[in-house]
Amino acid sequence: MSHSLTQSLTTPLMGAIHRPDSDRPLPLEPVTCCVCGSDDAEPLAVGEDFEYRTSPDTFLAVQCRCCGLVYLNPRPAMTTLDRIYPLDYHAFDFSAERYGLIYRVRQRLEAKRLLSACQRLGPGARLLDVGCGDGFHLKLLRQFGRSDWQLEGVDMSDRAVALGRQQGLKLHQGTIQAVDLPAHQYDLAFMIATLEHVDDPAEVIQAVRRLLKPGGELVIVTDNTDTWDFRLFGHRHWGGYHFPRHWNLFNANTVGRLAMETDLEVVKIQTIVSPVNWVYSIHNYLVDWNAASWLVKQFSLESTLSLGFFTLFDQVFQAFGHGALLRVTLRRPFEN
Amino acid sequence: MSPTKPIAIIGGGPAGLTAAAFLQRHKVPFVLYEAGPKVAGLATSFHDDDGFTYDFGAHFINNRLAAALGVGAQCRTVKYYGESVHLNGKSYGYPLGLLQSPRYVLSGISSRLNPRIHKRQFRSAATWFRASYGSALANEVALPLLEAWSGVPAAELSAAVGSEKLQNSIAQTLKFRNIGRMTGRAVACGYSHEIPENSHMWHVYPDGGVGLLCRKIAEGLESQIRLSSPVEAVWVDNNQVQAVQVNGQELPVSGVISTAPCHILSRMMRGTDRLAALAQFRYRPMMFINLRLKGRGLLKDTVVWLPGKDFTTFRVTETPISMPWLAPVGKTLITVDIGCEKGDDLWSMDDEALGESCLKDLEPLIPDIRQRYQGCRVLRASCAYPVYLNTYEDVRQRWRQTTGVEGLYTVGRNGEFSHALMEDVYWRTQRKLRGILPSNRVMSESPGATPV
Repeated sequence: MSHSLTQSLTTPLMGAIHRPDSDRPLPLEPVTCCVCGSDDAEPLAVGEDFEYRTSPDTFLAVQCRCCGLVYLNPRPAMTTLDRIYPLDYHAFDFSAERYGLIYRVRQRLEAKRLLSACQRLGPGARLLDVGCGDGFHLKLLRQFGRSDWQLEGVDMSDRAVALGRQQGLKLHQGTIQAVDLPAHQYDLAFMIATLEHVDDPAEVIQAVRRLLKPGGELVIVTDNTDTWDFRLFGHRHWGGYHFPRHWNLFNANTVGRLAMETDLEVVKIQTIVSPVNWVYSIHNYLVDWNAASWLVKQFSLESTLSLGFFTLFDQVFQAFGHGALLRVTLRRPFEN
Repeated sequence: MSPTKPIAIIGGGPAGLTAAAFLQRHKVPFVLYEAGPKVAGLATSFHDDDGFTYDFGAHFINNRLAAALGVGAQCRTVKYYGESVHLNGKSYGYPLGLLQSPRYVLSGISSRLNPRIHKRQFRSAATWFRASYGSALANEVALPLLEAWSGVPAAELSAAVGSEKLQNSIAQTLKFRNIGRMTGRAVACGYSHEIPENSHMWHVYPDGGVGLLCRKIAEGLESQIRLSSPVEAVWVDNNQVQAVQVNGQELPVSGVISTAPCHILSRMMRGTDRLAALAQFRYRPMMFINLRLKGRGLLKDTVVWLPGKDFTTFRVTETPISMPWLAPVGKTLITVDIGCEKGDDLWSMDDEALGESCLKDLEPLIPDIRQRYQGCRVLRASCAYPVYLNTYEDVRQRWRQTTGVEGLYTVGRNGEFSHALMEDVYWRTQRKLRGILPSNRVMSESPGATPV
């Protein structure tokens, strides 16, 4: 995001920028479980947009009594995406300039993780990043991967896509269901921090599946609800809720069931370390209790100390198989 | 259930509308019949020209229900809510303040330590309260309140009056109170049976009262709602609901979901006598006398319980202590609850005389109440609370399980003859309807359709 744009938005309110339309309620729509179709769900948490204060609404996270999926119900209508993803949304501007050391550390870490998923790829492999934002992961693959890989990305945001294209990336703007890409051509697809944002995960995965070669793989990274941060903060402040932008939140069971529903084989389900949900759980707690803004700032994506500390902290949980993120490797079967 | 004939829903209050919205989502045809000219009759708030708002009861809900209905943005946070008991000229915070009286504590502990308490079958509310709270607290506080509220001696009431109520531990009550104080939010304690409470649930006031909720639930259902259409009869054949009679017309239905008070439903039934015993179910009529007064914070707490025999009322509420917006600045509204019987002297008394009698009643609490008084407005509810009489307890227990008639279901406070609160009505109605649907799956949805 350009500097002048940040300046044009006015005074920060508890760590969030005040927006002219933040007093206007969002149109909210009831939904059912995207994994099993049931609408029988246990209310878990009432929350607000603690991070960006894009609306005055309160939101309800529920857990499906049939399959265990955690989802937002009711949730903002699709027409509100421009509002709930404001111009200063972090995914639009995860840059070295804004995030400094954190950017470089995350770059190294993510590059290592990405490449571990690419080990079996041969020369000329075709890769697709679904929900690529401005192309952060594609840039890493370009920098650290094989030079003959064909890298492409898809994102709904025209602004993010324009930013990525400026850096020479091949990006497609639109939803994965709508973009015109060749079927059965891709060796590997990524959905990193994307699945939880989409309205219909099964439909999105099916769209990706169609693009994969038989035997091609889809690597999904998403928030894990089978964690201690969820247990501790799940009644309101859990960072993974990211109210109201994370619409569906999974654990190993529900993501496995989604894979089955979409006819993909589960190659591996593992958890990986991330400090973000810990840090944002505390951030949200502090915001909710009207803590001083200097304190709130210590728990954000811009705080090296807390991110560093909770990276180490989450290692402990990771050792027991409860890391903050799920990493799921799915494969399109050969036979169809 | 037949796919062609609709289900008839009787009553357009929160429960009936919740049932309607549920059926709509599940693509089950239905028609909602409301006797009054608009939905949410009793749930509507009344406003006068001076800026006072009158509700049938304190109309706050909690933030969880508000979020579930998507009206969180139209609700105000209730920052404080408290209750106290005024007894023999002294005030005690409720419930913890009562623990400062050694007499109550000792009697409570001794009854709790009685090893037989867990095995006993309690014959009446009186024995239940004495065993659970101790004789001192039961005889001086709980039972007088219960009797004034229900209009019958506690020995004639079922033990379920107490045992079916949500029992929060003292530790949880303390925790919620303290978190409420720290966060400046009235954390809800003892308001939800269906879903566990936690310290992140607090009271909120929907702008426009519970009527706002009803209007929200009713969105998109308009074409299926028939106003000014009281259901006159429910026709049953071979113990299966067949039709309803509305405005003299017989309309075939596949089922009936009733929110009508049980004794009224009993009278509507044709072709079965299975609901005959329900005719004896009693609802306590209640009058809410709203006194307009100068000043604010005249009572010790939002709600003051008055177990003393010298009071006509058992409960007074100064809603603006919790919800300042219900009265204009510098003024307040005190609601005096008086249980009565329909048609008795109190019920028939004119509003001014009732106001006058309330002033007399409240003088011990507010000595200068007459100088502050600016008039009153009386709301009368003929079916305010179900009374669990022992004489029909076995019928009530069976009624909780089933209506005994195929295709006849009941929801809501009056329909179920239960003491359910707002949020419970919402979740419970959905749970009940889910149980009667042929499939748990939403018919319009088909996740995981065949992949390409």
